[in-house]
Amino acid sequence: MLLFSWFVSSSQNKQILYGFSELPQALLLNPGGKITNDWFFGVPLLSHIHVKGGTSGATLFDIFADDGIDFNAKLQNAINRMDSKDFFSANQQLEVFSGGFAFGNAYEKNEYLSFGLYQELDFILYFPKDYAVLALEGNQNNINRVFNANDLSANAELISVFHLGYNKKVNKNFTFGVRGKIYSSILNLNSTKNRGTFRTVPGVNNFYDHIFDLDLQVRTSGIVSLDGDSGFEPKDLTKRILFGGNLGLGFDVGFTQLLNKQWQLSASLLDVGFIRHSKDIENNVLNGNYTFEGINPIFPETGSGQTADEYWSEIEEDFEDLFSIDKTTTKYTTWRPVKFNASLDYAFGEKVEETCNCTKEESGYLNAIGMQVFAMSRPKQPQVSLTAYYYRRLFEGLRAKATYTIDSYSFTNLGLGISAHFGSVNFYLMADNFLEYKNIYNAQSVSLQLGFNYIFNKNEN
Amino acid sequence: MVCSCVEEIDFNQTKDFQIRPVLESSLIFFDEPANSFLDNGTEITVIQDFIIINFFNDEFIVDNLDKAEFKFETVNTINRAFELQVDLFNSNQLEHSFTIFQEASSNNSENSTSYIETFEGNTLQALKRTNVLVFTLRVLPGSPINDNTLGKINLKSLVAFYFKIGDNQ
Repeated sequence: MLLFSWFVSSSQNKQILYGFSELPQALLLNPGGKITNDWFFGVPLLSHIHVKGGTSGATLFDIFADDGIDFNAKLQNAINRMDSKDFFSANQQLEVFSGGFAFGNAYEKNEYLSFGLYQELDFILYFPKDYAVLALEGNQNNINRVFNANDLSANAELISVFHLGYNKKVNKNFTFGVRGKIYSSILNLNSTKNRGTFRTVPGVNNFYDHIFDLDLQVRTSGIVSLDGDSGFEPKDLTKRILFGGNLGLGFDVGFTQLLNKQWQLSASLLDVGFIRHSKDIENNVLNGNYTFEGINPIFPETGSGQTADEYWSEIEEDFEDLFSIDKTTTKYTTWRPVKFNASLDYAFGEKVEETCNCTKEESGYLNAIGMQVFAMSRPKQPQVSLTAYYYRRLFEGLRAKATYTIDSYSFTNLGLGISAHFGSVNFYLMADNFLEYKNIYNAQSVSLQLGFNYIFNKNEN
Repeated sequence: MVCSCVEEIDFNQTKDFQIRPVLESSLIFFDEPANSFLDNGTEITVIQDFIIINFFNDEFIVDNLDKAEFKFETVNTINRAFELQVDLFNSNQLEHSFTIFQEASSNNSENSTSYIETFEGNTLQALKRTNVLVFTLRVLPGSPINDNTLGKINLKSLVAFYFKIGDNQ
């Protein structure tokens, strides 16, 4: 129900690349994807560059437009319009190296191994609505309002991922694949488990009871040692990229099923995995319950002999305890955001071979249209998006795909990708949200992927 | 095909950033029957105590507090008048003082008073220097209190902090 309650966004959706089977990187979106090459290797550091940033809430233009409207009024509007499910997110990936090759019996190599190492930065910050309202308005006009501590939710991770994938074309209609992953976390900051409330309610003994019930934590790994005093050096970073960080394990699975000559179904589940943070941990924990109703300085604890100041000092200590931040080094586990892709694809427009005037069995169509659904787990609720696409082989060595995507960022997301093959050299470029480029500052999201590969194709064309 | 142009935006607007939250906090309270003012049958006419408080000297308060209001509400059903004097000291230096007067209730029905002390300008500066609050409750002259005296006196109070954060120039 949550899943379909709203089309929420997709900070890691690569809707243009998904199913783009001429590109080896498509295998990272579905290890059971169709493979059209014999072997490939990516140009080191250049084979896959991906950046995506987005907001489901206010854009830079909403707040910073040079339109003569008072800045604070714009800020207030933006805050009023957003809720705690709005978020700001960014995702970046850089493939360090990658490669793959087909194997199997000499007659038909129907198995494929692919591998690589990529670096990924993933960031999400939910809009901390109740904190913003409390900071902006205070509690005077918010008596009885429950301020939720869990409005603060954020995660940032910088990881490297080594992966090895296996793909098998079982028969002409069915292909499946799995990919194992070793994650090495370079940096992690995680504050997704905040609980509790603050509220001011009419009191019994005094005007108000201020009720604090707080359980907040920010967990970090890999960050303390960046402090200059600890002797951290750049080579330590290299070490972390190469399995010297906090390690984790995960897998991807996927398949492609031809339903008939023209219809094709595919699906994949990615990054089912965890990272265990056990080194270089620093957690900040704030935990406490307290109700404050003011003080009774004139008749403190009748008969106890306590002076007003002793009594007040106790209250001050209670407050200090409430807001004191404990530093811990407790190990913790984070789960990677799981991604789900599925698509239904219809190919049409048979290519007529000039040489033999015959049609090829499976890759002989020039066009395809389809629908793709993407979902991804996020700290508060899954993000979902839906894409309709059109794929076209323009001419020998040039393929293009156009997409239209609905998600919580926008209902007007048009994307376009091209893949060009010059002999064995392949270059691809994909971007979306073209309509937003008219005013980039008003864009809810932008994404870009590009890369260079050497691809050695099966003798298909 | 793609027009990568931008409309005017101005990040310098952040210098205009200003928020004005109002925080209210309960302050002091008491609720005492008439016989609380007896000590072994003898009437107590003055009760005084103090607290040491560094809250108003906190850097955040000093920088951002624009106005403060202390709001008091007393309800008296004792047939004696009261006054509560609040003295604000910076160590031994008296910075500010104010007194809330509450009339007697001749027939033990509720007799109430509201009082607001506003701190702005010079008095606000005095508040920001304050680190000792002295409370003096006086039972004003009238018919003597004994074990059979009816009624009680109730006081509630709050402080409202009006902040002005950012754009302080």
